[in-house]
Amino acid sequence: MKSNPQHGHTERHRMKRLSPYSLIAGLMILLGACMLAGCYSNNCPMENTVTCNYAFYDAEGTAIAYQDTITVSTLMPGYKTVYTYRKMGTLPITKDEPDPTLVEAGYTETLSQQRNDTILLNKKSNASSIKIPMSYFNAVDTLIFAYRSISSKDTVKIHHSSYPHVELPECGAYRFHHLKSVTATDAAIDHIEISNPDVGYEGTTNIKIYFNGVAEAE
Amino acid sequence: MNHIVQHIISIAFACAILLPIKAQDSQQQVLLPGEQPKPSRYVAIEEEKAHIVLFQGFTLSVDAFGPVSYMVSDYGTAEAALRLNLKNTYFPIVEAGYGKCATEDFNTQVSYKVSAPYARIGIDFNMLKDKFQSNRLYLGARYGVSTYKYDLAGPTMTDPIWGGSEAFNIPKTSCTSHWLEVLMGVEVQIYKNFHMGWAIRYKTELASTKNDNSKPNCIPGYGYTTNASCWGGTYSLIFDLNWGMKKSHKRRMNIEIRETRPINQPQDSTIDDETELNDDDRKESTDGEQAE
Repeated sequence: MKSNPQHGHTERHRMKRLSPYSLIAGLMILLGACMLAGCYSNNCPMENTVTCNYAFYDAEGTAIAYQDTITVSTLMPGYKTVYTYRKMGTLPITKDEPDPTLVEAGYTETLSQQRNDTILLNKKSNASSIKIPMSYFNAVDTLIFAYRSISSKDTVKIHHSSYPHVELPECGAYRFHHLKSVTATDAAIDHIEISNPDVGYEGTTNIKIYFNGVAEAE
Repeated sequence: MNHIVQHIISIAFACAILLPIKAQDSQQQVLLPGEQPKPSRYVAIEEEKAHIVLFQGFTLSVDAFGPVSYMVSDYGTAEAALRLNLKNTYFPIVEAGYGKCATEDFNTQVSYKVSAPYARIGIDFNMLKDKFQSNRLYLGARYGVSTYKYDLAGPTMTDPIWGGSEAFNIPKTSCTSHWLEVLMGVEVQIYKNFHMGWAIRYKTELASTKNDNSKPNCIPGYGYTTNASCWGGTYSLIFDLNWGMKKSHKRRMNIEIRETRPINQPQDSTIDDETELNDDDRKESTDGEQAE
């Protein structure tokens, strides 16, 4: 269509409003956006240790700091040979390695097979909560709670499943767990329950342990 | 209904343009006794009617930015879009493509692979006041969806306490993701039916299939999910299609000219100017005169 010479809006004027130079500007913007997108942004969690979190309560459900010293060990796959040395008038001595000097000193050496174990938490006192790692490939974790003030020990059994978890490739791969059930003996523990079955690195309480007795009101 | 809207818009538009001219014209028509009219040939009142037919055709576009992105980074797309042009203002659009991502973190050695199709549907709005020109500045929105399976692998996982190890390889995790995009872009006519344009897009993930093992690190058509939202862009090569197009659809505007001649001015003085109008314009002009 020919433009009327009297007409103010000619085709030439319209083209000036949006010129092909805007394509170049757009290309530069896109390249700039790529550079911005290339800026590294790490969104990985600060707390990235996967542990099962236990919180302590008295028998009535009041949160407490348990005054006794607790040592938590776990049974490991396989067995080990334990050397026990006894002598009249002395307490028996147990060692993982043979000790010829004790035999020379008059001790009687006895060998026995025991489950492998390892200490997960050593002599924690006045704690209101503890963090215990979980096995990657076992269906049941057996924890031994030993106390300083009483000779008896508690055995806690945790049935769970485990699975790998990747939040982002740059954060790495972790092993998360899902708690199925938990049981405990009653030496010092009144009862035990699952609070949150999903064990990750979020830090939420997963298991509540209710100890015997009632906390005194201050 | 469209005609009513057209008339309202055209009347408002004409009023905005013609009021000053009309005032000037009125002033010229007032002649004092004994005063001779000015020697102008005629005073034309032009009314630009924003008469655009609804269907303005389809455009087919391909994205040049996605392949380039794949060459320089771990993620890229191959994408085409079919767009409908309504009144040079509304552009419903369907985009389909194939996205591919293969990345491995240097520190953790965890790798992620996905390649799958995706689709988007949405609409663009031409923000320029002059809807007749071939260049456009537009805002738009998209809804995107992709169903895909991704592979995740990493170094062997070893239990540091209880012992034991297991290869970490999770293949073909099924996932469906939904997201929204808002965009701003320009489009410029390069040659006849060929346009080029760019757009920047702000994307936000709506939902993805939940999975215990992982979440998708990269979604085809969306990009990386490192943050809750991300930016993207397209550089489009756009071709106008002539499906169902009549010649009249390419008509950019109709001009209605009403003439007001001074007293004693010969009528054939405007013939030269009228011959510059094409047939359509002449028809409109005739209609306008008849209407008066």
